[in-house]
Amino acid sequence: MLRFFTRRGISMVFVLFSLTFLTFMIGHLAPGDPILVLMGPRQDTETYAHLRHLYGLDQPLLTQYINYVALLVRGDFGLSFSYEGRTVRELIAQGLPISFGVGGLALLVSLIVGVPLGMFAALRDGTLADRGLVALALGLYSIPSFVLIPLIWMANLAIFRAGYPNLPQAGWGTPSHIVLPVLVLAAANVGYITQLTRASMLEVLRDDYVRTARAKGLLERTVIVRHVLRNALLPLITLLGPTTAFLVTGAFVVEVLFNIPGIGRIAVEAVGRRDYPVIQGTTVILGIAVVIMNLISDLLYHVFDPRIQLTE
Amino acid sequence: MAQQILNLETIENTVRDERHAPGFFRRLARSRTALVSLTFIIAIMLAALIGPLIYGVDPTHTDFTSINAPPSLAHPFGTDRLGHDTLARLFAALRVSLLVAAVVETINILVGAPLGLLAGYFGGGIDILISRLADMFFAFPGLLLAILVAAVFGQAVTEQYGSTARLVLVAGSLSLVGWPLMARYVRGQVLSLRERDFVLAARAIGQSQRGILQRHILPNVAGLVITAATLDVVNAIVGEATLSLLGLGIQAPATSIGKMIVEATPFLAQNPFLVFVPSITLTLLVLAFSFLGDGMRRAFDPTGR
Amino acid sequence: MRSTIGVLGLLAVLMLAACGTPAGGPATSATAAPAATTALAPATAMPSPVGGNAPADTLRWSLEGVSDLSSIDPAKPGDAPTITAINLIFAGLIRLDEKLEVQPDGASGWQVSADGTTYSFTIRDGLAFADGTPVTAGDFVYAINRALAPETASYGAPFQLGHIIGAQDVVDGKAKQASGVRAVDDKTLEIKLDGPLAYFLSQLSYPFTFVVPKKLVDSGVKWEEQSYGTGPYRVKEWKHGQALTLIANEKYWRGKPGIPNITLVFNKDSETAYQLYQTGELDIMGSQQNPVPAAHIAELQSLPDFKSAASLATRFIGFNNLKPPFDNVDVRRAFALAVDKKALSDQVLAGQVVAADRILPAGLLGTQLPISGLALDPAAAKAALAQAGFADGKGLPEITLAYGQEGDNETVAQAIQSMWEQNLGVKVKLQSFELATFSKNLDTTFKTPAQGLQFWLSIWGADYPDPQNFLSQQLHSDTANNNGHFADPQFDKLVDEADRLGDRAQIERRLQLYNQAEQIAIDKVGWLPLYYPKFNILLRPRVSGLAVTPNGLVAPDWTKVTLK
Repeated sequence: MLRFFTRRGISMVFVLFSLTFLTFMIGHLAPGDPILVLMGPRQDTETYAHLRHLYGLDQPLLTQYINYVALLVRGDFGLSFSYEGRTVRELIAQGLPISFGVGGLALLVSLIVGVPLGMFAALRDGTLADRGLVALALGLYSIPSFVLIPLIWMANLAIFRAGYPNLPQAGWGTPSHIVLPVLVLAAANVGYITQLTRASMLEVLRDDYVRTARAKGLLERTVIVRHVLRNALLPLITLLGPTTAFLVTGAFVVEVLFNIPGIGRIAVEAVGRRDYPVIQGTTVILGIAVVIMNLISDLLYHVFDPRIQLTE
Repeated sequence: MAQQILNLETIENTVRDERHAPGFFRRLARSRTALVSLTFIIAIMLAALIGPLIYGVDPTHTDFTSINAPPSLAHPFGTDRLGHDTLARLFAALRVSLLVAAVVETINILVGAPLGLLAGYFGGGIDILISRLADMFFAFPGLLLAILVAAVFGQAVTEQYGSTARLVLVAGSLSLVGWPLMARYVRGQVLSLRERDFVLAARAIGQSQRGILQRHILPNVAGLVITAATLDVVNAIVGEATLSLLGLGIQAPATSIGKMIVEATPFLAQNPFLVFVPSITLTLLVLAFSFLGDGMRRAFDPTGR
Repeated sequence: MRSTIGVLGLLAVLMLAACGTPAGGPATSATAAPAATTALAPATAMPSPVGGNAPADTLRWSLEGVSDLSSIDPAKPGDAPTITAINLIFAGLIRLDEKLEVQPDGASGWQVSADGTTYSFTIRDGLAFADGTPVTAGDFVYAINRALAPETASYGAPFQLGHIIGAQDVVDGKAKQASGVRAVDDKTLEIKLDGPLAYFLSQLSYPFTFVVPKKLVDSGVKWEEQSYGTGPYRVKEWKHGQALTLIANEKYWRGKPGIPNITLVFNKDSETAYQLYQTGELDIMGSQQNPVPAAHIAELQSLPDFKSAASLATRFIGFNNLKPPFDNVDVRRAFALAVDKKALSDQVLAGQVVAADRILPAGLLGTQLPISGLALDPAAAKAALAQAGFADGKGLPEITLAYGQEGDNETVAQAIQSMWEQNLGVKVKLQSFELATFSKNLDTTFKTPAQGLQFWLSIWGADYPDPQNFLSQQLHSDTANNNGHFADPQFDKLVDEADRLGDRAQIERRLQLYNQAEQIAIDKVGWLPLYYPKFNILLRPRVSGLAVTPNGLVAPDWTKVTLK
């Protein structure tokens, strides 16, 4: 166990540092000068030199990287290039809980909806209901969010015009602001959770031990609950890591269109403004999140099925 | 990314089958949905290639007197806000989107498969090196790496090398996050193959490493690779659409399915047709590739599930 | 097979649902009594939900195009949304009224010396910051010097305030105070310029010289979050990434503002802002830079919420005069003569802009004098191209039009591209950039023309309503804004002379000179003007007292702006 954690730990650290290295290098070797971008159309050489020094860009590249990492391990992510005087850390601290909240809720909703649907489809394999559900799942997944959102807006607007209480079209602050974004994110997720649950249940249902249980004369319900479910849900656990990543980071379209001040939006805008400290900072944080979630899901996997070895 | 997770499960099922199964096409043919999907995909590809020649309308021709028009005899799918014929644009967009997807998968296969092969077969130091490299790219949150690369290098590349280069850059940046997964699948498959009897036998009779790789391992990995690539096409098309949303994808006046959708969405109320034509096309493509990939996955498994 | 049909069915249902919803047009008020009167009017305003989210004491004003403001320090105003916020919190010596004329604000009056170089401002009696501290001339001295100081890193102040004597020394770090700015006493501020500037007062409407409380700035790095000044409002709360909430300044010199609270909501995407307006969650949406999305104009035009005014801005194509092929005036003329501006504004942009034939935007001071522009003439265009030695476009290098990703630029660029192909027979490539990168590229074009852009689509909105801002400041061979290095000695001579004519009595002559200069700029194609955007916004009828001007929404008097 200890060996597992040690090796995992080393590997995590390696991955995170290479993330920072990759973004750092892309950022600083890229064409274009972020200071010029920051200054916009009106420029003068004194301010340019001053800003360059302020951000430490007048030092050799490797020195900059080492300085950056040294500060990073102490929790200092540096200053943002485009938001004057504000630290990357505070920008991330603002956005992260929001994205996690929306993403987490969306994950929950998609699990609550998707798992039962998948189970239902598996038990009714081959029927019209099953095929319909599969089609619906795939259909939902294949509609990009930037198409789904305007459709939802139209629906919401129609409800408003008809005089019924409606949800806010965008924004953040009250519980009702969370509903639409979670709905959109969950919609994409539900699709493959349904698929996955269905596929994995189907396999398990055909497995020998299930047939044995049925042959023993156990009630169908007991069979399902005691044997099928436990094994069928295992693959969902492996999903935990990547799904978190997808929800938190792939959610930027939702965040931009619904005006949610989450970390996905901050990261994407930073790319547009060439705000490299912010890009690096968010990448590191999100990388940490993904890696931790992967670790948790591997551990859970082991807990549920001790036969499965913990690989490095 | 999401679809990739789905594939993890389906691919792992494929890994169970080691032999280069005979009757693959026969089994594939037995699944009606897969057949229909394959036919659809071939039809779309043909349409994209030949359609413009038959239809003959220039997708870049602007007719300012006929803006945002509904379908008519002159314009079967209507026009967009600059007076382009939507059907002509659709053909052009299909070409681009399919091309991007093809390039993405080609890169994924050419980079991911050999690396996975080497890592799985030789193990040890090579394995660690390649796996760490893959992890590094894989840990990158979602499309962020693709966005970063496209944003940072996009304009320089287009300036110096033109719009074809832009297309390659877009495809390249999308495959940056795709190849690690391919490498991982292949590595897993090779790891299990390595210990199989027929490989051990080949080694016992003194066959060269390269011979073993070529003759025994590679054919059995091919199926997995093609299936994974087919299922990943969806990610490529949607990924390009997302890049277009941020203005980082294909540049005007060229267009892609994603770009058509993004440009048409503000006019949803005025000209819904303009949104739905590419959206439905996108959905159908996604469904077709998904069903085809699923059918291929099933066809590989001799138990016919 | 059946699954595919299932999905098609689903999509069909969605389609029908979308098409079935009446999109726009007079929306009938299905709500109760309070809205009954509006239900009778032929074109009803967009309904505000009864008792719903239309708070009686808060004006919800959307700032589009940004997801946050990077700074609200008046010494370094960034983009237009920032200036909107700054103008609510801070104020300076003068302000512009709804006719865009200079009116007293912090200064109750002023005098100009005979030679036009010395201005004496009388600070208003009883003028105080929002916390009650009285404002003196010394505070203005502090503010101006602060804007010039290198530590403040204001990118524009050194440029705009450069004519104040001693300003350059402060910018260079050689002095802490500009010798030309002094407080004669607590109530008198004196500013000395290095020469008469006709437009100096007009320039003071820009935030650089707005007064800020020294003790606030000194209070720490985060002073902006609680900032206040002499404007009608002060900051109540700044929720980064979401909104900036302002509360009325009780000490405002004109009296208490009519609306107790203003919430400036950040909306990166104009479409989102539009949706929020539709469901009653915003009172004001749209601005010059980010107007109401053109896609929706058709459905909104008949509604009282829809307000439109010509804006003091010109969208134009700029040329790099030091790089082929646009170093040749005939090539520039050829391209100019091949653009069908009428089709562009009437058809492509659905009549939402005004076609331009001159550099000064319609309605600006100076446009009373006529100009002859370059009208569409494909034959002449081709002839000009041949004259330049590129008959039928042969021999031309590859040409790329650059533009920033904002608004309708992409549509405009594509439209013009096809015009050039049809009317001139030249295939031009397009290249879009994010705004920040685009600015940077313009700068490269200025500093190292050989590596810069060839030509680009751009816009210039008036900083202050004076022809100097469009002519001298943009096309003089010496000005930093002249990215393309357009240089015509006669043009320079004319505007130099006009800039110096500070005396009000000389205004006729001044405008004459600008007019001649403008004609030269048109003939030699310093800019290829395309259109003047209209300032399209949505303003809820319950808001009264705001005027829609080419410079944006102006309150002639904030004490009289109310929510019905």
